[in-house]
Amino acid sequence: MEEYNAGGEGSFNPEEADVIVKECIESVVGADDYSQSQVNKWTASIVERCLTQLVKQGKPYKYIVTCAVMQKTGAGLHTANSCYWDTAMDGSSTVRWENRTMYCVVSVFAVAVA
Amino acid sequence: MEEYNAGGEGSFNSEEADVIVKECIESVVGADDYSQSQVNKWTASIVERCLTQLVKQGKPYKYIVTCAVMQKTGAGLHTANSCYWDTAMDGSSTVRWENRTMYCVVSVFAVAVA
Repeated sequence: MEEYNAGGEGSFNPEEADVIVKECIESVVGADDYSQSQVNKWTASIVERCLTQLVKQGKPYKYIVTCAVMQKTGAGLHTANSCYWDTAMDGSSTVRWENRTMYCVVSVFAVAVA
Repeated sequence: MEEYNAGGEGSFNSEEADVIVKECIESVVGADDYSQSQVNKWTASIVERCLTQLVKQGKPYKYIVTCAVMQKTGAGLHTANSCYWDTAMDGSSTVRWENRTMYCVVSVFAVAVA
């Protein structure tokens, strides 16, 4: 999903969000192997941590953060998203991360507050 | 994920969104088995169709629709989402659907336009 960022003040900065999300994922699951007993705790931690860091930026946005964690077994997983919003002000960013035993896909959607 | 809907005019109606999403999923993949060559087309159709139906309602909302389709192989998939918004006006709805060969999870996030 490509995004052209005009870079003007008041538009969403997906690169900055990318960095925040990667750090959050690494800090929660960076060193772990997939574990069924822990995974619910991980997904909740990841979205919570990302949201907190994003809100801390103090920008006039509402945020939606989604996270999917899947065990590496060879199964196919496909995702898509579609957004109806103000393309000048709003934006999204998706980070795909993996280690030896699992995939993690985190999406951030930022909607400008009028 | 439970949602208490005060039901006042201007708040998001998640039951209505549920109905719309279920119809869209059924119409796109209702009768099919998981197919790697088709799945990208399906996810794109599902989000597009849901978005169109939601926008048709003519309510003052921006929408984000996400869809994940996974083959049934016994692998574990866990998802979470977290939202920073106006809890009185904004809302979300998640539909989990399955058939013999695949799971489909669609989430709708609706953010009120001031």
